[in-house]
Amino acid sequence: MTKVLLIEDDDETAGEIAAELAERGFEVEWSSNGLDGLAKARDLRPDAMIVDRLLPGMDGLTVIESLRKEQVRTPVLVLSALGAVDDRVRGLRMGGDDYLTKPFAVVELVARIEALLRRPPETRETTLRVGQLELDLIERTAKRGERVIDLLPREFRLLEYMMRRSDQLLTRAMLLEEVWNYKFVPATNLVDVHMGRVRHKVDGPGEAPMIHNVRGAGFILRAVP
Amino acid sequence: MQFMRSKTFHWAAAMAGLFAIFITVLFGFIYFKIDDYLIARSDRMITTQIGFFAGLPRDRLIGALEDHLQQDSRGVQFSGVFDANGNRVAGNIAFLPNGLDVGVPARSVLLVSGDDEAARAVSVRAVALRLDNGDTLVVGRNVDETREIFSVVGAAFALGLFPAFCLWLLAGAWLSVRARRRVEEVNLRVQRIIAGDLRERLPHRNVDEAFSRLAAIVNGMLDELETTINALAGVGNDIAHDLRTPLTRARLTLERGRTNATTLEQLQESADKAIAGIDQSLSIVTALLRLAEIENSRRSAAFGDVALGEMLREVCDIYEPIAEDKQIALSTDISGKAHVRGDRDLLLEAVANLVDNAIKFTPSNGSVRLELLRGEGETILRVTDTGPGISHQEHEAVLRRFYRSDKIRNTPGVGLGLNLVSAIVKLHGFRLVIHSGPGGRVEIVCPDKPVSRTLDR
Repeated sequence: MTKVLLIEDDDETAGEIAAELAERGFEVEWSSNGLDGLAKARDLRPDAMIVDRLLPGMDGLTVIESLRKEQVRTPVLVLSALGAVDDRVRGLRMGGDDYLTKPFAVVELVARIEALLRRPPETRETTLRVGQLELDLIERTAKRGERVIDLLPREFRLLEYMMRRSDQLLTRAMLLEEVWNYKFVPATNLVDVHMGRVRHKVDGPGEAPMIHNVRGAGFILRAVP
Repeated sequence: MQFMRSKTFHWAAAMAGLFAIFITVLFGFIYFKIDDYLIARSDRMITTQIGFFAGLPRDRLIGALEDHLQQDSRGVQFSGVFDANGNRVAGNIAFLPNGLDVGVPARSVLLVSGDDEAARAVSVRAVALRLDNGDTLVVGRNVDETREIFSVVGAAFALGLFPAFCLWLLAGAWLSVRARRRVEEVNLRVQRIIAGDLRERLPHRNVDEAFSRLAAIVNGMLDELETTINALAGVGNDIAHDLRTPLTRARLTLERGRTNATTLEQLQESADKAIAGIDQSLSIVTALLRLAEIENSRRSAAFGDVALGEMLREVCDIYEPIAEDKQIALSTDISGKAHVRGDRDLLLEAVANLVDNAIKFTPSNGSVRLELLRGEGETILRVTDTGPGISHQEHEAVLRRFYRSDKIRNTPGVGLGLNLVSAIVKLHGFRLVIHSGPGGRVEIVCPDKPVSRTLDR
């Protein structure tokens, strides 16, 4: 069972997060202050951690820094009410792997934790494959079965990102950050429009869909069973 | 007596002291000059006189001497004739003074005057001459009058200096008390301003004086602050209004859902609606925080070289599908290469916002055009569209937070887009130019030598 350590000082928030994670099959350990959290992180060896930035006892970022100094590589998702770009950059520089600004949707949190736990391994593969879908990273070409898919550069990047994380829920915010490098939320729903195009190209007429829209959450790329 | 401790008073006292020293030195100098002058004059006089007497024959000399002494009412003249043995022949000098050598020039000697017993020694300037018959002729002049002048001058000096010194100290005390009073008054008013009375101003007269000018400068600053704070208060109201609207909607939906929903689906539907309302409020908060972040930013340290052409192509690339969905033609005209110093992410955000707006407000079958032009000493990023445009009356208003034109009241959005663009443009020292309709035309003008906001500070 995947063990997640949650360090968060607000009881109610922590309760909601813990309940949601438990429902999704995670084993959740909760700690309400920095020092206790650091001790638990050392003893329990969790698979992933969710750390609030502002904590009693010891600041969240200091907890992460201490762990990193001890060569603990556990993936960490930083939670913070500080949403400025600089805060985010700092959170990531101090050893956090991902940064989520409060308030957030629970699906977003779960999707990000899943993404951290299933980070794609560094490969030297030059071809990505998901079911019938094939992406040649050198030639920059895509194929579904024998059908060649014509992709624009950004569409290629989007598909590449999705194929590396197939079977995972990818939220719009994650896609914006990773594929578009956007550090802001655009007014128009960019992701949906672009995703619509890619989907149209990948899932041809009469073919079983591979890109699935999860309502109110994001998208998943799945191999056709 | 608090003024005694004030710096102004100390300065005044020091100045008074310096003045006294200067006056003393000046008086001393004048005294010595006068003294010198008087002695030189006496010397000239007695030298002339002795020349005159020496030229007279013996018999007339005695008479002339007597006449000369009689005419001297002030008793400052001395003269006498002595024979070769030093006995007095004529004149009012008791005996030949010691230390008086024969011949010019004149020198100071002590003489015993008169022939009576009450004779006294006086200090005179005298000159002696040997006559042809062996007699010695002495002519002298009392220089005691220089002492008198000294005492007169001294008295005048004391009489003048003391009151002047006192006057000076009084002036110092008055100045320091006045300065203290003004500081007190300023303090009083500043306290009122601190307490929240923003209409209060510092006292100042329209004179070219340091204190008044300082007060005028501070008042100018207060005017500016008052305007800003009033504007902020207005913004606060706008924020409250714009946050309340979606929250009220969410609350109503939840309330109705709770009372009326009979199935889980209905309840979920109202919950979804409520979440959408809350998300809308949150996006307003996020946009406001972002705006504050940019406005307070001094990130010019992170500025780099930004290739505008490439950036515009990227924006176009991102928005092309969106424009196409709305059947709007999105075109670019990027001639040549232009580079500016700036924060690429922020500039991209600004241009993306402009394009986003243009697409949003342009009806179907219209067009949006992105251009990169080269002006005189400046590069222009221009976004034009075939939408309603921004009328002249609305130019100022669109830069106000939450302003949404009546024409577009029903278009979704937060109403902070142009504020964000404006803040980013200002941070870079660029200019945002909004042209009047028909059709929308907004430009970001990047001068080659921008007046950066960060440099102003």
